[in-house]
Amino acid sequence: MIYLDNAATTPMDPEVLKVVQRSMRDDYANSGTVYSAGVDANRKIEQAREEIAFALSLPSRFRIVFTSGGSEANNLFIKGLCSPDRKAAYLGLEHPSVTEALDSLKVFGNDPVRLVEYREQGKMSRKAVPYLNEKRVRLLCLSHVNNELGVVQPIVEIAAMLRERSPQTRLFVDGVQAVGKCEFAETFWEGVSGYSVSAHKLNGPKGIGCLIYDDRLDLKPQIHGGKQQGGTRSGTLPTPLILGLARAIRISSERLPETRAHLEALNERLRSGLRRLQSDIPELKLRFNSLPVADWARQSPAICNFSFTPVEGEVVLHHLEKKGILVGLGSACSAHSKEPSRILRALGCSVKEALCSLRISFGPQNTLDEVDTFLREFGQAYQTLYPAFRSKAIST
Amino acid sequence: MSRERTILIRYDEIALKGKNRRFFIERLRHNIRSGLRGLDGVRVEVPHGRVLLHCADSQTQEIVKRLKVVSGIASMSVGVMVEPDLEAMARQGVEWIAPLVEKNPNATFCVRTRRSHKGYELTSTEVDREVGGRILEQLRPQGLSVNIDRADFRLEIEIGLPHTVMFQNRIEGLRGLPVGTSGKVLGLLSGGIDSPVALFRMIRRGCRAHAIFFDNQPYMGKGGHDKVQRLCRVLTRYQQAMRLWVVPFEEVQVAIRDNCRPDNRVVLYRRMMYRIAQALAEREGYQALVTGESLGQVASQTLENLNAVSRVVQCSVFRPLIGMDKNEIITQAKNIGTFDISIEPQPDCCSVFMPEHPVTKARLPELENDETRYPWEELLQQALEKTEVQDPEPSPF
Repeated sequence: MIYLDNAATTPMDPEVLKVVQRSMRDDYANSGTVYSAGVDANRKIEQAREEIAFALSLPSRFRIVFTSGGSEANNLFIKGLCSPDRKAAYLGLEHPSVTEALDSLKVFGNDPVRLVEYREQGKMSRKAVPYLNEKRVRLLCLSHVNNELGVVQPIVEIAAMLRERSPQTRLFVDGVQAVGKCEFAETFWEGVSGYSVSAHKLNGPKGIGCLIYDDRLDLKPQIHGGKQQGGTRSGTLPTPLILGLARAIRISSERLPETRAHLEALNERLRSGLRRLQSDIPELKLRFNSLPVADWARQSPAICNFSFTPVEGEVVLHHLEKKGILVGLGSACSAHSKEPSRILRALGCSVKEALCSLRISFGPQNTLDEVDTFLREFGQAYQTLYPAFRSKAIST
Repeated sequence: MSRERTILIRYDEIALKGKNRRFFIERLRHNIRSGLRGLDGVRVEVPHGRVLLHCADSQTQEIVKRLKVVSGIASMSVGVMVEPDLEAMARQGVEWIAPLVEKNPNATFCVRTRRSHKGYELTSTEVDREVGGRILEQLRPQGLSVNIDRADFRLEIEIGLPHTVMFQNRIEGLRGLPVGTSGKVLGLLSGGIDSPVALFRMIRRGCRAHAIFFDNQPYMGKGGHDKVQRLCRVLTRYQQAMRLWVVPFEEVQVAIRDNCRPDNRVVLYRRMMYRIAQALAEREGYQALVTGESLGQVASQTLENLNAVSRVVQCSVFRPLIGMDKNEIITQAKNIGTFDISIEPQPDCCSVFMPEHPVTKARLPELENDETRYPWEELLQQALEKTEVQDPEPSPF
């Protein structure tokens, strides 16, 4: 099987798997208990926190709170900080766990500000900053790497502008698609107040993630109970998953330079291959929804999104599946809704173009050969399916 | 309480069956037995007009749950064997009714006796009065009263079954006829709301219903197939065993799409489905086809189109939902437990195979003409050869 849907989730790294398995067997003691087995579990969790902080170059003012994953981390920060009446803003290209969490504040009469007019090719325009100031916005929510397109927000630059032009606006970043693919220096964190991570997007286990946030902030807990993690997030800590998360982050950070180079090579191969297909197959008209050039500061090499009207992405997906190739349809969270991708529509795609699209997303385990196989099978599937959709295109 | 319990099972329609009655009752007894597989120590008796189950008190809840899905049972009551003695009967009655009165001081009850042991010293009405009077005497101070027509608690006494047994309130059964008394049918199952209900209605009329599913992978994902499998697991609850035939259908659809008039496609697909289903039914000894069609519900379900489709088969085609409206169908789907599965979003292939304007009044000569343009006999054979069979396990409930 060729797995090219790594933005949806990733296979477990064998080393991480071993860590989790061993810990599942050995570390069953509740880390909140006072006998030595519990103390040991707690020590391992604290070591994991340190490991994560080190791998991401986190300054000491940040706290790490473990959550069930990225969605919970986003919810905890947004609701914990903005509920009931702190004004928040977003671009409209974020994951539903950000946008829906913001929408949930509407019950308090706290309508989030949507920066639709301040988008430039998926990024936030500089002009948004004075507007945020004018609207007295207290929190700006952005995705570090967009989950459907791979657009990278210039976080450091935005943070610097906010400090200067809209100092009361804090910055929250959904980092679910970025960790393991982007580099983190201590300077990155200067203007960031909150950041979310999910283990299963970086070859770690499902069901674990964390919220990294500025310790000076007072977050209202969203899950009440036994006051674990200082009361910010109650619930017995899953030691094995936490160790798995830490190991996955450590491995990805140690291998980052080679992973980056590898992802870039895969992406180049894919884009050039698609262009070649376009010239070989006269009826294939491609549109790159991701940035079509190798500008890796603005575009993550891990994701490539493209449209090919009039053939529907979902039908191509199943034809590729038959050949053992798994690819993505926009975002997996909305793949069940049958609605064309909100993000692609926001970017100016027609309904047709949004429906006729695929998202290829790479992980470190993918190979150039796999990309070649994908290209061959995609070309074939497209040619098989084109006649059926052509008549459709003419009649509509 | 580790006391032995007796469950009385009533059937209604079977009672009318004249000379075939034995066959129906034997079938019901067999179905009850296999429905209770895995429960030890349950004894089944079939005295005149009734089925009696003897079991441990701890088993009653599980048994009632399982009996609720056995077709042919009109109602059932849980009870105990008692001495045919008025004091003993009243004592049992008080034991059951007292907790009820405690919760609701306005509670009402009635006693209903049936006497098949005609040598018993009192008539049924006398027993009603005597036992009822004794219970009332004890519980009237707490607020209990008698209500013959709408009692909260209906105490039933059967004297001489051969035993004397007392029962609590009736629990509704599925009604209908025991599965296996009406033969075998093959239902066209799509994954939507209607077809599982149609199959269920045939099961309740005593049929063993098997299913056929037309799969158009790779145009559609595995989601449709998976849904149909889970629907079959729910339907298997009602009949213990069924088969699911999965027919690869994409080649037929591609051939029709590429060669025939677009407006006629839907009817042409259905004609092929009927043909394949009939061929399979003949091979496997199924006596009729069943579909979930309901008149006028969608474009393919007009009288003209139903007729155009039925023309291609010689066997009986049953459409138990033909006169039902959508809300009735949905209510039944919810009751039998298929609704939640049916409404899960299912990837469909409309965009590839469906025309913009499907014909609502297909004309036979046109359809026959379309069918000269692709090798349907050959494709039918191929589809049959590639058909796979599965035996879904009943899903727990």
